[in-house]
Amino acid sequence: MKIIRAATLLTLLLLVAAPPAGAQDAYPSRPIALVAPFPPGGVADLTARPVAAALEKVLKNPVGVVNKTGAAGAVGMQYVATSKPDGYTLLLALSSISIIPEADKLFGRQPAFTVDQFEPLALISADPTILVVPADKPWKTAKDFIEDARKRPGQISFSSSGVYGTLHMAMELLSHAAGIKLRHVPYAGAGPALTAILGGHVDALASGPAVVLPHIKSGKLRPLAGWGDTRVAALPDVPTFKELGYPDAEFYIWAGVFAPRGTPESALARLRGALREAVEDPAFKGAMDKLQTPIAFKQGAEFQRFFETDARRLAEGVRKVGKIEIKK
Amino acid sequence: MLTTDRAGGAALGVIGLVVLVESRKLPLGTLHNPGPAAMPVVLASLLLVCGVALVAAGGGAARLAAIGWPEWPHAVAIFAVCAFAALALERLGYRVTMSLALAFLLGVVERKSVAFTLVVALALALGTFFVFDTLLRVQLPRGPFGL
Amino acid sequence: MLETLSNLGLGFAVALSPAVLLYAFAGCVVGTLVGVLPGVGPLAGISLLLPATFGLDATRAIVMLAGIYYGAMYGGSTTSILMRIPGEAASVMTCIDGYAMARKGRAGAALAIAAVGSYVAGTVSIVALMFLAPPLAEFALRFGPPEYFALLLFGLLVLAYMSGGSMLKALAMAALGLLFGMIGIDQMSGYFRFAYGVVELGDGVGIVPVAVGLFGLAEILATAGQPTPPAVIKPRLRELLPSRREWRASAAPIGRGTVLGFLIGVIPGSAHIISSFVSYAVERRLSRRPEEFGKGAVAGVAGPESANNAATSGAFVPMLALGVPSGPIPAVMLAAMMVHGVSPGPLLIKQQPELFWGFIASMYVGNAVLLILNLPLVGLFVNLLRIPYPILYPAILVFCILGVYAVNGSVVDVWIMLLMGALGYVLRKLDFETAPIVLGVVLAPMIEMALRQSLAMSDGRYAIFATRPISATLLAVAAVLLLLSLKPLVTHTLDWRARLALAEKGEGHP
Repeated sequence: MKIIRAATLLTLLLLVAAPPAGAQDAYPSRPIALVAPFPPGGVADLTARPVAAALEKVLKNPVGVVNKTGAAGAVGMQYVATSKPDGYTLLLALSSISIIPEADKLFGRQPAFTVDQFEPLALISADPTILVVPADKPWKTAKDFIEDARKRPGQISFSSSGVYGTLHMAMELLSHAAGIKLRHVPYAGAGPALTAILGGHVDALASGPAVVLPHIKSGKLRPLAGWGDTRVAALPDVPTFKELGYPDAEFYIWAGVFAPRGTPESALARLRGALREAVEDPAFKGAMDKLQTPIAFKQGAEFQRFFETDARRLAEGVRKVGKIEIKK
Repeated sequence: MLTTDRAGGAALGVIGLVVLVESRKLPLGTLHNPGPAAMPVVLASLLLVCGVALVAAGGGAARLAAIGWPEWPHAVAIFAVCAFAALALERLGYRVTMSLALAFLLGVVERKSVAFTLVVALALALGTFFVFDTLLRVQLPRGPFGL
Repeated sequence: MLETLSNLGLGFAVALSPAVLLYAFAGCVVGTLVGVLPGVGPLAGISLLLPATFGLDATRAIVMLAGIYYGAMYGGSTTSILMRIPGEAASVMTCIDGYAMARKGRAGAALAIAAVGSYVAGTVSIVALMFLAPPLAEFALRFGPPEYFALLLFGLLVLAYMSGGSMLKALAMAALGLLFGMIGIDQMSGYFRFAYGVVELGDGVGIVPVAVGLFGLAEILATAGQPTPPAVIKPRLRELLPSRREWRASAAPIGRGTVLGFLIGVIPGSAHIISSFVSYAVERRLSRRPEEFGKGAVAGVAGPESANNAATSGAFVPMLALGVPSGPIPAVMLAAMMVHGVSPGPLLIKQQPELFWGFIASMYVGNAVLLILNLPLVGLFVNLLRIPYPILYPAILVFCILGVYAVNGSVVDVWIMLLMGALGYVLRKLDFETAPIVLGVVLAPMIEMALRQSLAMSDGRYAIFATRPISATLLAVAAVLLLLSLKPLVTHTLDWRARLALAEKGEGHP
């Protein structure tokens, strides 16, 4: 019995004892974790890996990608928000970072985290979504689509990556800007949402350009318009909703690097500089090119403004959608 | 007579009831637009019916008292070690946690010799870490002192 | 046809060069190693090891990934057979009879049959993939939510009709599993269900911790403290390979499993998991000695293992032919290929035939390399059973915790595994089968989602299930099955289930 008691005591002591603060050398002195809140193989993970590799080269210090997944990214984001702000835990977040706390608020839940808990470091990429419809549908232009939707409210259906997911929000922003009502069929992720429109089970989809480009080229899908500030480089003939007179329909799927708020300024400055160098790395550029994701690097005030505008737009979008109405 | 089927059925019925009560917090929706509570309510009712049926028809199964539980001290010890591992994994790191857990299981529960326990516990904990974390890059947690 | 063959020749010319073969080998070894971790199947295996291939050129990387894929797949059946730990949900059925065979000293035979079954299923599926991919893929895409719902309902009825044991208890366990599957964010409305503030439960209860807990951990809890520990098995060389009788008994199940698995696998989504369950049920129904199932029937290993392997290969059909990420594993493969600058789809076959056919050829090569690698390893693996149980089980525990943690980097998953282990232990003592729970956890979100998506598509009209030809056909067949299973109630004859129960009872008291 003595052994058991001794073992229990020892483990309790070990559990209680706080990890000792390491020697305060020049930052960075030990491996940095870049948390990707989505599973390997997804956009966040595939962006995080080249970023980590390029950072590692610049900082001459190991940078590892850690996948903390769950609850549509909320788990990983919460993990970083509450981790020690010492510059050794960073987050690679997607647009959903501004949606999740709003959706939590809507349902009267304690938010898992808030956007104020993060210090924006750099925007890595930003891709506007584009509206695609199956090629055998009658709509040739965005105007046709919107007019038809006005005539038949709630009859035209669209697939999305899930309720309050990025692809859902893009469509809702358009609906509000154009004053139309569409029928929402949520799917479990962007992949199934794409499969659904290819199978002809829904009439429309808002999607990042890279994944639908091959299907546009093969003639299965028709692009109608984009949500961007400017046209998508690969689709120069496709207008933006802004050009068509719907300036509120602006939406990007973006990826950025964040640190927990409270990270010492010295570490932040070092990281900002390193990220600036990292995006110039040819290996990084090559990797992003293969993913067909254009680099849209923004830092400091510029990123801050982008992030805040985007967060405000999305928060408003979530509030407009409101709780999905269901009879009690 | 209390049989295994009856005991199991009763427990399942209770679970069904609890879920039914808990589902009241969620909107039920309509038949044409089922809400988040619809499926849980259907399933919990099914579970409740199964539970009641098991209690009613389960008289012929083995008697609950007839089951031996000779392995319970071991089961509890193993369960406790796993619980410790879950608590400690991200605080002490993989290597320390697993060494302690293995040492306890081998040395205290299975009463192997001290030398054998230490060698096997350390070799397994460090070996698996090396193979999976270092070589294969499966991320495992590190504790204080980078262990 | 001729063109296909010459293209394939081109692919093999690439895939069989010594350097590329080396990568195939390395991939298989690494995949098997990682796949041995419970919970780390082909999906997690490819995801975890994808970064390791970043430095390679496209062909080598894809060959290596194919190796990892097959290796991880096979690594899972190894642990299922030797330790009763399912590597993933689909291996649950392998656990039952595979482990029973191992305890009877036939571990070598079970492993060899699993390896050969997987090889045959893999190879046949690739051939089917080559020749049937474009038309099959078009057909597969017609499976929308209503068809999916009908398919899952049909699958459930097949299982209910063909499973043995007490129908009532199996139903109760399935309902319990389906309820576990309800935990998490409701995908249709955004409500958090039964999560009680645990953010990690948002995506629901993972299949891996449930399966590893209910099977692996529960087995340890129930066995470790037995007054007489399980006997140490000392395999002899000539017992390593399956006997002629065992080969004969597994040939037909491998064939049926392959066809069944491939057809289910082609359909987009995660339905491929049910293929091994359905295959097991079919084999038991067709077997002349159904009472052997659960006690080490060879067909119970051969069928599900082949079905599982064929299903995941089938899932590549829509991905390769249309570039659609039609399920979790193809989605990761698709991402992996994109990282290496290859985007599958109709254009790939036309524009970069050497890459497409190289991929097909590397799948052949990966599959063959795995068989060559693993048959000799069977001898090695089986020797693990020489380790006395009091030393073996702590090691198994370490692997369970490591594997379950590694999949999501989540301690909550470890806790779920623990609770499921305790539940599985108690249910075992009370003589309840736990496999239906796993099936329930897997199916619950899919069935619910498909039903509610269908209703969202049709604006709440149930007619959508009857007006679409595929779903109407499936539902009609399901209705016939339901009537068939009710027949004995009306005609008062013993159906096969009752006869099976009698046979099982008779075995106890000869």
